[in-house]
Amino acid sequence: MKNSFKVIVLFLCSILILSGCAGFQTSNSDEGNTNEDGKTVVDFWSFWGSELRRPIIDKIVADFNASQDEIEVKHTYSPWGDIWTKELAAIAAGNPPDVVINDINATAIRGQENQAMNLSEFYDDSFSEKFYPELWNATLYEGDSYGIPFNTDTRVLYYNKDAFEEVGLDPEDPPETWEELEEYAAKLDVKNGESYDRLGFYPLWGVGYDVWLLNANGENYFGADNNVDTVNVNTETNVEVLNWLKSWRDRIGEDVVNSYQAQIDSQQGNPFFSGDLAMLVQQPTFYTQIRDYAEDLNFGVAQLPEYEPGNGHTSWGGGFVAEIPEGSSDPEAAWAFIEYLTGPEAQEYWAVQNFDNVANIEAAEAAAQSDEFTEEGQMVYQMAVDSMENTLLTPAPVEAPGFYNYINPKVDEFFLGSLTAEEALAQAQADVEALIESNQ
Amino acid sequence: MRKKGWTMRRKEGIYGYIFIMPFIVGFIGFTAGPLLFSLAGSFTDYNITSQMEFIGVENYQSLIVEDGLFRTSLWNTLYYVALSVPLTTLGAIFLSALLNQDVPGIRYFRTLYYLPAILSGVGVYLLWMQLLEPGTGMVNLILSWVGIDGPNWLFDPDWTKPSLILMKLWSVGGSMLLYLASMQGVSKSLYEAAEIDGASRWKQFIHITIPMITPVIFFDVVTSLIGGFQIFQEAYIMSGNGEGGPANSLLFYNLYMWNQAFESFDMGYAMAMSWILFVIVFILTIINLKLAPRWVHYEGEEK
Amino acid sequence: MAKTDDKTVYMDKSEKAKSLSKPRYFEHRGNRNNMWKVFNFVLLAAGSLLILSPLWWMFATSLKTMQEVMAYPPSFFPESWEWGNYIRTWQVAPFTTYTINTLTITTLVVFGSVLANSFIAYGFAKIPFRGKNIWFAIVLSTMMIPGFVTLIPQYVLFSKLGWVNTYYPLIVPHFFGSAFYIFLLRQFYMTIPTELIEAAKIEGASHFYIWWKIGLPLTKPALATVAIFSFNGAWNDFLGPLLYLNDENLYTLQLGLAVFKGQLNTQWNYLMAGSLLVLLPVILLFFFFQKYFIQGINLSSGGK
Repeated sequence: MKNSFKVIVLFLCSILILSGCAGFQTSNSDEGNTNEDGKTVVDFWSFWGSELRRPIIDKIVADFNASQDEIEVKHTYSPWGDIWTKELAAIAAGNPPDVVINDINATAIRGQENQAMNLSEFYDDSFSEKFYPELWNATLYEGDSYGIPFNTDTRVLYYNKDAFEEVGLDPEDPPETWEELEEYAAKLDVKNGESYDRLGFYPLWGVGYDVWLLNANGENYFGADNNVDTVNVNTETNVEVLNWLKSWRDRIGEDVVNSYQAQIDSQQGNPFFSGDLAMLVQQPTFYTQIRDYAEDLNFGVAQLPEYEPGNGHTSWGGGFVAEIPEGSSDPEAAWAFIEYLTGPEAQEYWAVQNFDNVANIEAAEAAAQSDEFTEEGQMVYQMAVDSMENTLLTPAPVEAPGFYNYINPKVDEFFLGSLTAEEALAQAQADVEALIESNQ
Repeated sequence: MRKKGWTMRRKEGIYGYIFIMPFIVGFIGFTAGPLLFSLAGSFTDYNITSQMEFIGVENYQSLIVEDGLFRTSLWNTLYYVALSVPLTTLGAIFLSALLNQDVPGIRYFRTLYYLPAILSGVGVYLLWMQLLEPGTGMVNLILSWVGIDGPNWLFDPDWTKPSLILMKLWSVGGSMLLYLASMQGVSKSLYEAAEIDGASRWKQFIHITIPMITPVIFFDVVTSLIGGFQIFQEAYIMSGNGEGGPANSLLFYNLYMWNQAFESFDMGYAMAMSWILFVIVFILTIINLKLAPRWVHYEGEEK
Repeated sequence: MAKTDDKTVYMDKSEKAKSLSKPRYFEHRGNRNNMWKVFNFVLLAAGSLLILSPLWWMFATSLKTMQEVMAYPPSFFPESWEWGNYIRTWQVAPFTTYTINTLTITTLVVFGSVLANSFIAYGFAKIPFRGKNIWFAIVLSTMMIPGFVTLIPQYVLFSKLGWVNTYYPLIVPHFFGSAFYIFLLRQFYMTIPTELIEAAKIEGASHFYIWWKIGLPLTKPALATVAIFSFNGAWNDFLGPLLYLNDENLYTLQLGLAVFKGQLNTQWNYLMAGSLLVLLPVILLFFFFQKYFIQGINLSSGGK
């Protein structure tokens, strides 16, 4: 009895002590827009918390704060992916942050759903010219932007120059077409019984089948401006592309493909670094991994090969926008920060420090010339900037949110052999059309 | 307390409510509101941020009549529950029987077997993706030692769900703990009496241990059934961020619901899904509760 | 089946505890018994290899350089044992603060869970009252609705209370019981002989007294289980802190660990080192809490 009494007293004491802690101080939700200095506080959420990215974004925020008399940005890190669940809950409760970094591909949907604010009142007609048009267009819903493009990426082909030389290929002449890609890959293969000592190439590592469809078609599944009147899933070209992709799988062998795939998926042990894989499609930032984890690798970088000569080196990208959640307490101050964040100064700093593609054209081009990059770095970055011209985004039309969830499983079944390419695409086409119909 | 006219039964009744009062208060204060909201929301086109219009049973109708992915996800989940619940239950009982013995280092063994249950989060699932890698992964490596040519695990739609079950079996130490706690409560004298009668270990296990731990077996079956229907995070991570795995073989009920709620922002639809799940699980649980008196043995019950 | 004379059991536990506390490994009780124990030991040892091998992978990764993590094929033993990874991991984010925060939350959650759930469960198991079955069905029902659909309304509710960016939403609900533990403890209370409680009542004890003096001691192994589970749950909780904490000074360990997993690449060595460090307190807790299981033996091993 005595003992338990002690425990309870101890417990109550500790509660009293703890109640002094910040975690037990409630605040009413109306305060919080201004700090002690009378500055307007802009709550800024990002998922950049790693030891690489955090200092860079913090520096940008600090620079902005130093330039402002009235506004102070408070940056908060929130985990990648989950940050948007948190944002949504905060919007629903009517107490969201003021600026959030979010996925560019769903910007239009978030605009339609009243999650993100319509930013058109803040910018004038020439504002959009600062950004790659493909990126800008992805942020539009009914002609207005709901998030300003921040960074982006594209896909380029990395290849091992030493391996090229070893088999008698010109290391300065990467494959230009799909045909050449196949030819080179076959030359680069070094077979050892059932397995490979070196594999030339496999198209579905690093990117999905959809990138190859995009590359062949030069356009997305949907009509101009992402209208859903036409759905181009089941086309002759797409059938051909899928069969082409399958032929790689059949030639190399399922077991080899899966084994490498698991390595690449788990983000550990990359066979390209060790020279076990001669060519790989990846983002430009993949260069930083080569730089840090495989410094001796002698590599080159090229745009994606063309489906047919003259068809275009179409590539695929994504990216992030800075948006103002609906319900932000001070959108004007938030906009001032977004303008800075997507302006040339901050963008160039971000590009150079992170080796990341940025959305601001002026900043991207300036970064490519940056002295802070090595020669190899400049080469990759320039390639990234060049590739941006040919890069398409695949934002989901507002009538077809998550449409890839309907195409992917069918394509999976095709690769597993339970459907032909025609059947898979026909079923996927029907499913996507049904999805669109149910959302109209 | 000794007011006149209060019968024993009424007094007990008041006591009963005093004891469960914390739950009632918490339920009304924190849980009931959101639950009712989700029930109401299931009859609307609620999208979290801007609309919530009554649309009758449209969500339920299109789920049951039209939605193929709904059926896929329900089938996947039933498959998973039907396999994982018996396997993990048996595994946990077996393991705790082993760990309920006096062997040297038993405290270390118990800690060790419990370890996987403590490990949680994304890291573990990514770790398993590597262990299950068909070529050089450890699982297939071990299988090859005993002459088995391991399957393609997470790449083969027929093996994706068994992969998850394997992972669940690895972390069976969590429910092992329950059984261990229960087995510790079984009186030693029962075993000693049985030993005098010459009963074998196996007989003792079947005729003493198992009946004595039926309350916990019952608990484990009911809760892992409920939990099994809600499998989410494993599938979310291991199917490549919620895309459902090869040929949608990992598109579990909650994963599909998540995608509806937080990818397509069709929260009303997700809420309808959750109430359909509720009905299914509720019926199964009621069946469990009704069957319980036939096999669950409570030592404390009056006969 | 032989029924034990459990009425006297809880009285003489201290004496029995002494006699049982000495290890009795391989004592002479016949050959068959020894054989069984050797077999048991071998089986457990072999099984622990299976359990340990994934853990070894975590451990080995935590000691590698990133270059080695990215090497193909992966190595089984680290080339150079980078113990410094553990120190660097701790420095990437304010993990010391996170530890204190997590401990604060976890301690209160465990306290609340053990107390509230055992109290509620006693009511459900040992007191007959009208409407019990309906309430118990409600208890179970709260487990059956997936949390996703109540996540937003619950957030809005706590937001209205002004609890966002505090620990209250993470702690207070645990003081009102949760279905899993209520059900679990109910199962254990059900095994306490009703005669024991009736006898106490005849002697004038109230239900509070019986719960505190008989119920709690007799269910120690179950309470230890609840303590371990709820510790584990609060310690590893990700979604709760993610949603409700906005100030990084209030963050918990699990939120801290997430910095190692970024959009493009994962710092595996740090993630594994961090995960293992975070695991350590839970392992220690479990290791030492086991004695409550052993006490369980003593409680009901009487009547011999």
